[in-house]
Amino acid sequence: MFSFPVFDSAFYLVAAPVLILVAGSLVALMQSVFKPISGQGAVELVTTGSIAAALLAGLAMPGSLQDFVAGALLSGALSRFGVILILAVALVVCLMMREHHIAKAFFRGEVASIFLMLLSGMLVMVASDDVVTLFVGLELASIGLYVVLGYIQPNRRSQEGAIKYFILGSVGAAILLFGFALLYAACGTLRLSEMVAALPAVANHGWAQLGGMLVLAGIGFKMALVPFHMWAPDAYESAPTGITAFMATTVKVMVLVVALRMFTAAAVSMDDVWQPGFIVLAALSMIVGNVMALVQTNLKRMLAYSSIAHSGYMAVAIVALSAAGATLPVRAILFYLLTYVIVSLGAFGVLMALETAENDQLTVDDLSGLSKKSPWVALALTVFMFSFGGMPPTAGFIGKFFVFNAALNNHLYGLVVVGVIGSSISLFYYLRLVVRMYMGESAGAPFGAIRPVSRIFSVNSGVMAFAVIATILLGTVLPGVAMERLNRAATEVARK
Amino acid sequence: MEWFNSHILSILTFFPLLVSAAIFLVPGENFARTAALGGSILTFLFSLHVWHYFDPASAKLQFVESYIWMQEFGVRAIFGIDGISLLLVMLTTALMPLVLLSLWNSHYKHLRQYIGLIMALQTGMIGALVAVDLVFFYVFWEAMLIPMYFIIGIWGGARRIYATTKFILYTVVGSLLMLAAAIALYLNYYRQTGIYSTSLLDLYSVSLDPRTQMWMFAAFALAFAIKVPMWPFHTWLPDAHVEAPTAGSVILAGVLLKMGTYGFLRFAIPLFPLALQTFAPVLIFLGIVGIIYGALTAWVQKDAKKLVAYSSVSHLGFVVIGSVAILADGTLSSEGLTGALYQMINHGVSTGALFLLVGVIYERRHTRMLADFGGLASVMPWFAVMLIVATLGSVGLPGTGGFVGEFLILLGTFQASPLAGVLAATGVLLGAIYMLTLCRQILFGPVKHEENKSLKDLTPIEFAYLAPLAILVIVMGIFPDFFLNKTRASIDHLARNYKSYSLGVEGH
Repeated sequence: MFSFPVFDSAFYLVAAPVLILVAGSLVALMQSVFKPISGQGAVELVTTGSIAAALLAGLAMPGSLQDFVAGALLSGALSRFGVILILAVALVVCLMMREHHIAKAFFRGEVASIFLMLLSGMLVMVASDDVVTLFVGLELASIGLYVVLGYIQPNRRSQEGAIKYFILGSVGAAILLFGFALLYAACGTLRLSEMVAALPAVANHGWAQLGGMLVLAGIGFKMALVPFHMWAPDAYESAPTGITAFMATTVKVMVLVVALRMFTAAAVSMDDVWQPGFIVLAALSMIVGNVMALVQTNLKRMLAYSSIAHSGYMAVAIVALSAAGATLPVRAILFYLLTYVIVSLGAFGVLMALETAENDQLTVDDLSGLSKKSPWVALALTVFMFSFGGMPPTAGFIGKFFVFNAALNNHLYGLVVVGVIGSSISLFYYLRLVVRMYMGESAGAPFGAIRPVSRIFSVNSGVMAFAVIATILLGTVLPGVAMERLNRAATEVARK
Repeated sequence: MEWFNSHILSILTFFPLLVSAAIFLVPGENFARTAALGGSILTFLFSLHVWHYFDPASAKLQFVESYIWMQEFGVRAIFGIDGISLLLVMLTTALMPLVLLSLWNSHYKHLRQYIGLIMALQTGMIGALVAVDLVFFYVFWEAMLIPMYFIIGIWGGARRIYATTKFILYTVVGSLLMLAAAIALYLNYYRQTGIYSTSLLDLYSVSLDPRTQMWMFAAFALAFAIKVPMWPFHTWLPDAHVEAPTAGSVILAGVLLKMGTYGFLRFAIPLFPLALQTFAPVLIFLGIVGIIYGALTAWVQKDAKKLVAYSSVSHLGFVVIGSVAILADGTLSSEGLTGALYQMINHGVSTGALFLLVGVIYERRHTRMLADFGGLASVMPWFAVMLIVATLGSVGLPGTGGFVGEFLILLGTFQASPLAGVLAATGVLLGAIYMLTLCRQILFGPVKHEENKSLKDLTPIEFAYLAPLAILVIVMGIFPDFFLNKTRASIDHLARNYKSYSLGVEGH
């Protein structure tokens, strides 16, 4: 006789966001079958409604460290940070999608169903202490993304990107899974927290070291660190811009949360494997990412390479994680991540506002004279570019300040010099956009190939305005407060 | 009054930013012009207030304000002013109304935005001068670049984009290394005391081994040397100056370049005194090369603006060698330091005037080539008077501010190293040659070109913004003590005690 497992209310409090999304996903699936409820409006309602409900549930999640179902589900400040950030991004992206030219294709029952399902996978990944569950969450998220990427716009470019992403992503996932398997063999446990606790005893064991290296490579794949970055530019370019914005931000959040759980708490003895690895990946990413971004003309491709470089900066802070009891590197990563998410959403928001169905691959030239056409949008993109480039008084500068701070505290002088060189290179291509917008001539017909941004209130302009204000505030008056808020999540994973 | 006195520096810093915000929000060029001019005059009055109540007998920081920014990391927003920064703040606030006046009748596109950016730039400059916290200083130092980047890039000449990109990239590369060194310094302070602080007042007390000092000095000095600019990091300057609009050039030469030399006095020298011992000969060598190279290059220029730009390279070489002249007893030459500071102000005034004057004839003839002029003295007598006064101030004729500055610098340099003194003195000679060449080619001889015969002399507005500068050139030459009295205590303190430098806080 089948009996439904009974959990206490604390479990439901933690699981609520995931359960809501799964329920939403099932409803959306029904919508694709039953004609009367399959209208775009109804799907929009179900999608945004369930994400908003999940976000509310996420805000109510307890911040105390507690695990359920043998570690499959883990509450705590870090889980909460990841869940809220991912859901907030998803909500914003969905709302922006409504105004985008692919709205009709996106808000279909089957697409929405997959989208909500992959979102639940992401939540599982950031809120789990069990490597198998975590991996299931990762696969749920990744497979969902492959499908969404290729399915919304059934054209050649999109499908090619999806296939590339699928093949490389699967390789990455397989490597990660193999690494987990070897670590399991060495440590004898599937619980992440027990695994990292058991590592010191077996750290010199060949299986453990190989497993550690494979996990490093797997995380590198998902974070798009060089040389595991190949999928990112194609996937970013071929996906509809809203999905690119979603992918560029949430995938980083979920992978970094796992990376923090893994590498922060890991034993000193594993540093021999992980530290040199991350040093190489970070240095390569900062150099290759920035240099490759320099030669891009397609804006989404440029932002893809720039995101690779930003992964590199976060990896610098990961290298610095090894100091005992230090919460600064963890907080540096979380702060950097937060800024990166806000600024990326803003920047992709600008692209979404400007592109049309005919021209959805904007190039640097399309921005020529934007300051005259849409001064506010140009101003917003300028703030985002300065923040990406790490110029004060924006949040990007404070993020770099903390990352360099953490790295220098660990005597990583070489990495900081590479970071400085990378930053200088990056400024060149970020400023090139500013040059085009403000110093270039307006190209072509009065409205050119890009969409004139309407003056009435739209979600899109709201997101841009919010991102601008947040970028400036996090760069001027709020960094102290933000870092204090992140302390709890950081102490949770800091090395004892 | 009490409240005003205790917040005067933050008011002085952020008031121009408020004006700038108002200019960006309120449409209409007339409002922009009036608000900017009024705002900058008011800022000047605020700075006069500081000047008046500044206690010249004290070498301590005065009018200090301190606010918590990132408590946990010891990052604070600290404002403070001493004799060294006081003069530079006065230079900044005095130049701005004149610069804005020069824009009164101009017909730039998007004049409102142009003026708004200039006001925002003023906040950056004053902030960098009165910030006493490393991170806080860095924010202003970098934020200053953004308005200048747009000013050159949008309102500049034909190759403006190349020039502005070069300008910002050069500066940022240097500054980022400085940031890394600043963080390393801050972590060293933490290791020694267990307290996080980015306040200069604390960081002066860090004791570092010579090797570490060398690295950090190199990083700081690179950032400042690019900004000054010292040879061989000067190549961005002629490009930036030639392409920048007149007002941009005046601010760039008048104030922005001084941030580099100010950085040496405030940060590099007192923070890393041991490294200075090693690097001083290098800096003096580069300074002398800059003086001679700048002078020779200026001599052969055909473009008046480029000539003045290269003369800046030469003049700021003097400032650098004056700042690092170490005497036999190991102290810095206080004459050299005084001269360096005075020369910064004098260069700001006379070169500012020269750029404005070049702007005056450029507006009439749309050319800056020396060959296109000649004989203007008979056509534009008042213009000729102004140009001659500015030129004499620039070459350092006795009776002008330039003489006082260069004389003190050479005095200090001779005491430290006679050879360096002799070599630097050739720069004075060369300076006279190229500047007088400029004067001769523009003003004297027959009027060669027909279109020059009908040129109008200075308009009342042009007269209004040039006359104060010309008067200042003379006054600075005749009454140097009026200016130097305020700085003497701070300069002497730095010269004598730079090896164990500390800055007290007045009233604490």
